[in-house]
This record gives sequence, C-alpha cells and structure tokens, in this order.
Amino acid sequence: MTTKLAALSTTRRRFLKGTGAALAASATGGLCLPALAQAQEITIISNLGNAQQREILQRLATEFEAKSGAKVVINNMDHEAHKTAIRSYLVVGAPDICFWFSGNRMKAFVAKGLFDDISDLFARENYKSVLGATTSAVTVGDKQYGLPMGGILWGLFYRKDVFAQHNWTPPKDWKEFLAFGEAAKSANLVPISMGTKELWPAGGWFDHMNLRINGLDKHIALMDGKVQYTDPMLTPVFDKWNDLLKAGFFSPSHSSFGWEQAGAALAQKKAAMMDLGGFVRSAFPEADLPQLAYAPFPEIVPGVARYEDFSVNSIHVPANAKNRQGARDFLAYFYKPENLGAFLAAEGAIPPRNDCPPSHDPLVNAAVEELKKVVATSQYYDRDTDPDMAQEGMTALQEFMVKPDRRDQILGRLEKTRKRIFG
Amino acid sequence: MYPRPIPEDARIQRALYLGGVALVVILWLLPLLAVMLTSIRSNEELMAGNYWGWPQKFSLIENYKAVFEQTAMLRFFLNSLLITIPSVIGVLILSTLTGFVLSRYPFRGSNLIFALFVGGNFLPAQIMMIPVRDLMVRLGLYDTVYALIIFHIAFQTGFATLFMRNFIAALPGELFQAARAEGASPFQTLRHVVVPLVRPALAALAILTFTFVWNDYFWAIVLTQSDAVKPVTAGLNNLRGEWTSAWNIVSAATIFVALPPVVMFFMMQKHFVAGLTMGAVKG
Amino acid sequence: MSRLWRRNRHWVTPALFLLPGLILFGTVILAASIETVWISLHDWDGIGAKTWVGLANYIELADDPQFYVSLKNNVIWLLIFMLAPPIGLALALIVNQQIRGMRILKSLFFVPLVLATVTVGVVFGWVYDPNFGLLQLLFGAFGGTAPALLSDETFVTFAVAAAGLWPQIAFCMILFLAGLNSLNDDLIAAGRVDGARGWRMLRHVVLPQLSQVGFIAIAVTVIGALRSFDMIAVMTSGGPYGSCTVLAYQMYQESIFSYRFGYGAAIATVLFVIMIVFIAWYLNGLIKAERSNA
Repeated sequence: MTTKLAALSTTRRRFLKGTGAALAASATGGLCLPALAQAQEITIISNLGNAQQREILQRLATEFEAKSGAKVVINNMDHEAHKTAIRSYLVVGAPDICFWFSGNRMKAFVAKGLFDDISDLFARENYKSVLGATTSAVTVGDKQYGLPMGGILWGLFYRKDVFAQHNWTPPKDWKEFLAFGEAAKSANLVPISMGTKELWPAGGWFDHMNLRINGLDKHIALMDGKVQYTDPMLTPVFDKWNDLLKAGFFSPSHSSFGWEQAGAALAQKKAAMMDLGGFVRSAFPEADLPQLAYAPFPEIVPGVARYEDFSVNSIHVPANAKNRQGARDFLAYFYKPENLGAFLAAEGAIPPRNDCPPSHDPLVNAAVEELKKVVATSQYYDRDTDPDMAQEGMTALQEFMVKPDRRDQILGRLEKTRKRIFG
Repeated sequence: MYPRPIPEDARIQRALYLGGVALVVILWLLPLLAVMLTSIRSNEELMAGNYWGWPQKFSLIENYKAVFEQTAMLRFFLNSLLITIPSVIGVLILSTLTGFVLSRYPFRGSNLIFALFVGGNFLPAQIMMIPVRDLMVRLGLYDTVYALIIFHIAFQTGFATLFMRNFIAALPGELFQAARAEGASPFQTLRHVVVPLVRPALAALAILTFTFVWNDYFWAIVLTQSDAVKPVTAGLNNLRGEWTSAWNIVSAATIFVALPPVVMFFMMQKHFVAGLTMGAVKG
Repeated sequence: MSRLWRRNRHWVTPALFLLPGLILFGTVILAASIETVWISLHDWDGIGAKTWVGLANYIELADDPQFYVSLKNNVIWLLIFMLAPPIGLALALIVNQQIRGMRILKSLFFVPLVLATVTVGVVFGWVYDPNFGLLQLLFGAFGGTAPALLSDETFVTFAVAAAGLWPQIAFCMILFLAGLNSLNDDLIAAGRVDGARGWRMLRHVVLPQLSQVGFIAIAVTVIGALRSFDMIAVMTSGGPYGSCTVLAYQMYQESIFSYRFGYGAAIATVLFVIMIVFIAWYLNGLIKAERSNA
C-alpha cells in the first residue's frame, strides 16, 4: 500500500505544479493527425451532467472532424445511469472512447482486460512530462490505461455573503464546528446541506470524518478490506457523527433528494455549508458564483495530518473499441492543453497537465492553494473500495444517518459484507 | 344499464352529475396538471420557488422549443416510433395466428402451450435480463432497434395470445362449423372468418401493445446505449439527469413523451372498449 | 403431393401458424427464464467466467435481511394494489352514464394508464417532494408539515406503491367498464322488478355478472404488483437505504450495482417460483371458467 500512498501524494504535488505554471511553452508541439484518419467514425460515450461541458466536447469533436475528416459521434448518458451501463457496453458494443474514474474503479476494468493499453499514446505525445506523477492514477504495472481528467478536491463550501452577514468564519476544529452548527440553526439555516438519494454523499462524509480521526493509512486499510467495520477505531467516528445527527446538523429528509437540490438549498441561503467538490458551482446561478467559497473539513483529532479526498476522473479507450487508432487521434486533440483546459474549466475541476492555461476561476485556484497544504490524498469512498462493498457501505451509511440507533446492527451487517468480499 | 341511467329529461340533474364527474377527473389528474403547468413555466419563476402558483409569464413556446432544439428528444421520439410500430404489427400478426390455432384446433398439448404463453407473460421481465442481452449480442443485434423489436414482439405475444385466443373462442362456433362444412382450409377460415371478425380485438390489442412498448424503460436501457437507437423513455430519464434543475424543460419533455399513446388512445377509444369487452370480458 | 397435402393440411397449416409465435416466445422468453435459474447456481460477475457454487446463493439469500425486506415490500405492494379493482369498479360505475360529454371525461380517466412509468415517477416525485410538493401544499394549507414520505422507511413503500396504483386503477376501470357494457339487461330489469336497488342490485345482480372481468382485473393487478420495478427505480432507487426494494429491484441492484449476477439470478428464481404459484392459480381459474361456460 505504501507505494500507492507515495504515488498519491506525488500525484497531488504534480497537480500543483501543473496548474500553477502558466501556459509555459506547451511542449506538445506539432500534433500530427495521421492521414489515415479518413472517413472513419469515432464513437464516444460521455457521462456529463454539465451542459457547458457537453457543448465544449461537441465543439472539439466538430473541430476534429473538420481537421481529420473522421466522423465523431457523441452519446451522452446520465451520470448515474452510466455507472451501470459501462459494465455492459465495455463487453458488448464498446464505443471508441468512454469517460470513467481513475484509480481502483479503473483497475477493476483493466484487470478484466476491458481497457486498452494506451502507453503508445503516452509515448507519442510525451504525456508523462506534463502529467508527471499524475500518470500513476492511470497506470497499472508500468502501462497507462487512460488519460487523467479533472481533479476534484472535496471540502466544505459556503456563501461568503451569508457568513459575512452572521459574522461567521469557517470552523477550524471540532469545537468550532459544533458551535457553528448551533449558530446556523439559530439563524434558521440548515448547518450542512446534504442530499443522499444517490448515496455517495454519505460515503464522502464518512471519509472526511475518518480521515480526520484515523488518518489516511487506517482509512485506506479499511477501504482495502483489511480492517473490520466493527473495529474500535471507528467508534469515535460514529460517536461524533451521531452527535451531529442528534443535534440536527444535516438537511431533514436528505434521502429524498440528490446533491443538486442540496446545492440549490445552499445557493438559496437555506443552508450554511455543504460537503462537496468544486462542481457545486453548477447549482449556483451565474451571478451568485463570486459568493461561493471553499473551506477545508475541520480538524477533529489534533495532530492528525491533513488528508483529503481528491478524485481524478479519467477517459479511456475500451479494449473492444472498433477504431482504437481514431480514438487515440481524437484523444490527442482533445487533450491539447487549451482544449482540456477549456473543458475542465467548465466544471471547476483542477487540470492534470501542468501546461494548461491558468484558471480564471477563484475556486479552482483556491483548491490548488489548498492542495499544497494537503499531506496525502485518497479518492472517495466508492472509488477506493470494492464496488460491491461500496454499494453496501454507502447504503448502510445512509441508513446510519437516518437511524443512528441501529449502529451496531448496521456495522455488523457491513462486517459480514466485508468478510464475504475480502475474505 | 347499471347504474340506472339518469333520465334524458332531467337536464339539471344530468348537468350536475357531469359537473361532479368533471371535478373528480380534475382531482384524479391533478398531479399531471401540475406537470403541465410546470412545462409552461419560466426558469426564473422556478428558481424563485413558484412551483404551484399560476405562472406570471407563459413560456410554453420557449420550453418546448428548448426540448426540440437543445435536446435529442426528437430523435428519440423517431426511434420510439421505429421500435413501436413494427412491434405492434408483429404482435398482432403472431397473436392472431397463435390465438386462432389455440382456440380452434385443440390438440394434445395445446393447453400446455397456451399455459406457457400465459405463464411466460406473467413473469417479471427483469429476470430474463442477462440471457436476453447475451442472446442479442450473439445475434449481433445489441444496440439496434431490432433487439428491442424482437424482444417486445416475443414478450407481448404471450399476453396477446391470451387475449386473441379468448376473443376467437368467444366467436360463434357455428361460423367455424359452416366453414368446415364448406370444406374451407384453415387458411381460408382464418382469412374469411377470423380476420374480419377480430378487428375490434385487434384495435384494443394495438392500443395496449403500443402503450406497453412505447412506455418500456427497462429494456430500453438494457438493450441500447447509443442515441441513434435509444427510445424516448430512456431519453427522458437521461434528460432528468442532465437537466436536473430545469424542471420546466423536463416537464415539457415528459408531456411530449406522453403524447403519442394518449393521442392514439383518444383516437381509438371507441374500438378499445368494444374490443376489450369482447376479448377480455367474454372469454 | 397434393393428396398428401390435403390429408395433412388440417394439422400442418395450424402448426405452421403456431410455429413463429412459439419459436420466438420459446427462444427469447422461456429459454431466457430457464437460463436465469442456471445462472443462479453460479458465482458470476457478469463479465468473467462463471464458477459453479451449487445452492450457495440460496443459502446466503436465506440469511440476507435485505431479502426479507424485499419480500415484505412485495406483500405491501400486493395489498395496496388490491385497492385497484374496487376503486376501478367504483369509478367505472360513476362514469357509466350516457350523458353528452361523458365520453371525453371517461377517456381522461384512462390517461394515467397510457403514461410511461418514468412520467408517473416524475409526476409523483413532485407530489411527494417535502419542500414544494403537492402534499406539502395540502398540509401547509392546514398549517402542518407533510411527512417526507420518500425518505421514511415506514411510508416509502406505501408512497411508491400508491403512485403505481394510479395507472393500475385506470386499467381496472377500463376492464370493469367493458364488463358493465356487456351486462345482461334482462337480468337487471328482472332485478328492478324484484325491487332490488342500489347496493343490493350491485351485490346480487351486477357483481355476479362481473365475476369474469373481476378475475381478470385481479390477475392483472397481482402481476402488476409483483412486477413492480420501474416506479421504484425512477422514484427512490430502492431507498432510503434499501428499505423500499422489492424482489425485482433487489435482483437488478445485486446484478447491476454489486455485479453479483448469480446472486441476482437466485433472487429472480425465487420471484419466478412465487409467480408460478400465482400463474397456476390463474390458469386453474381460467380453465374452470371455460368449463363452466362450455
């Protein structure tokens, strides 16, 4: 595991370098579009919930068509539906390019031989020099199986005007956090906006508390199934979480809506903070965006180093793709610093290349600054653990948030699942 | 007639009764009316929290235009037609044949075959998910409209056979005896006796099958993936994911999806009840 | 040749008529159902090779609390859906009047039947929304707060099933309307002569004549209840925390989200067995009715 951790922390550092740097002599040089890309078709399956990103992808596809003469067909899927559809289409009817998540979720498909090895593209375009250690997010045994996309730094988001109005500052430690929650409640705001209909936000909250209490190594051990869910190390996590639940820190009936609605509550000044990534911006009207600000999850146990969830999306060529060469050519075009930069700016993600244009988005720049203070990173609950375990785990965590009194029963069930999956 | 008809000359009573029923209809369709109302609401109003009040500004044209221009709903709509119409025709033909044979040519095992059709149709379709998907892949039909057409014809044939068999069994036996006495072959009997008489049943069946196939969501997501073949229900759900906060657009698309079966139903309503009366009820 | 044909055409032609439907139905529907039983005896992630595990999936299922939640919810669906035939009958009685304009109202009653489940899901999602839903509007009018039905483990199944009930009532209503159209007028007239009115007329003269259609309505309703899937997928995804799953949904979830196709197939097989019991009851009723008609 140590290698992975080292890789992760270097990943982070490379990201900083990347975004900090200015356009700086984009060394990619003359991107050559081979002449053989004539009258062929390249199909893409995307999972973009962000309309602006869909537009940019379409624009890049059209540009590429004009340059290469190839035809690019984009099929966009609903983000959640895509998570299930990919299992089928990678086996049968694979597109030439698809969107996914790096790290463990990518490795599951690599292990089954479903993603194409694109080390040749890495060599051809010399990506390692601009990605640096980020390459490791898409590497399995010296080979690259995808291109890293935007990074999402998770943390608490809030509105500056609301905080100014109440004279609040983002809570730094647990005591402040509890006090802040009480203040928010007396100001008739929900302290933490959350929508757990799609389950994962509950997993994220667990991650963040566990990282602050037990640190990264123990957290990753749990994700890898090496620690029991009934282990005493988790007792303070659930105790403290239970305190928050009892005190009414989270949106009532959070299981009936998703993060979009929770984000809207934050934008509409009905809630004070929200645990999410920079993509929370899409829940805000354009005019309100300058009010949106980031704060790290508060410290819980003093002395535990700062670890954060930092997820890196990715883009892949399925092994069963019909036009793997065309896919590489399009990716090379798509991954040019200016194109990738524009695409990622739309969702407020942190670019993986160090030669993308500097961001105009203060949130992205703030995230970059914050990342400098982070010691090491995990990805996210459902990206770090086995998918089967993640499904059971996030369901159970949602249940805990609604019925905290069932803790023992819930954890017992999780432990049973862990044993079944990891043995 | 039951209940006893309100007399023709009791005009006021009739008007009041009709008004009362209309009120029940409004309550009955209230949720749908709300969606229709939302589909003509402007985005600003929704953001401001006016979900149920009367819209201050009507955005009917804008919203529906957005559905056609900014989403691929029109293409999904055409896909749905390409899937649904052949499926309905296929089901009508196959079930007329099977229904005719099973009702008029009893043989050893015919009850068993009938039971298989009925039983198979009662199964929750989800349990066939994996094998059916694999079958379509092996046939090279995965992610084509043919995969959906074949599956829908196969599945609906079960129900349709039950329906047609009951209907044909309820036809007067003398007709068939007469045909036999005249030496008509089974094919001639089918053509000259059965087909002219089952039209109302076919009309009812056409509406039901159309509705079932048009509204299918599960198989749409199991057997297709590209926008070029995706039917309108899958498209609508995608839209919900992509336009999460633009409820007016989602509503407009929702209404748009519901339109064809509703229109079809209204057009054929008379035949529908008549066909059902004879097919399902008398059988 | 021609003689051979004439001698045999009385069975050859019907056989040829039967074959296309039978082959299609057999290879797609029946074979797939049986293959599911076969898969349930394996450990399979849907991509790699299948590993034979015998009855292990069933043994695990017997000890899976989620399975019992699903089973219980299927029963709830069944009970709630049983409201559809009587309500459908009541509505059919209400609209069974020949008044100008009644036909259009009748058709409007049928509208929920032809709506896609996705549509019904969207519609009821708004009814139940705790912040701005129709229900909240209703409660708010009396100064109360509507319960968040979709995030309450006690109510969620009822709420989702109620949404599913909407089109189901319309279906039953159509069936009963068809039944009312084919009532024997002589019997009704005789009943009237005997002084039977209102409830007694319904109970003793009308309902017996509707027994056939009632049987079909109940059958269609039971299938609808046991098959429930789309509504759950669209409205709650089985949540909160899996408390409103039914067998069909749990099967889907285990296969698709947890990649346990063998386990999912085992759940499907249990549903299959439950269905077969019901189908046997139905076919038995069908055959009995036919005999009494003959």
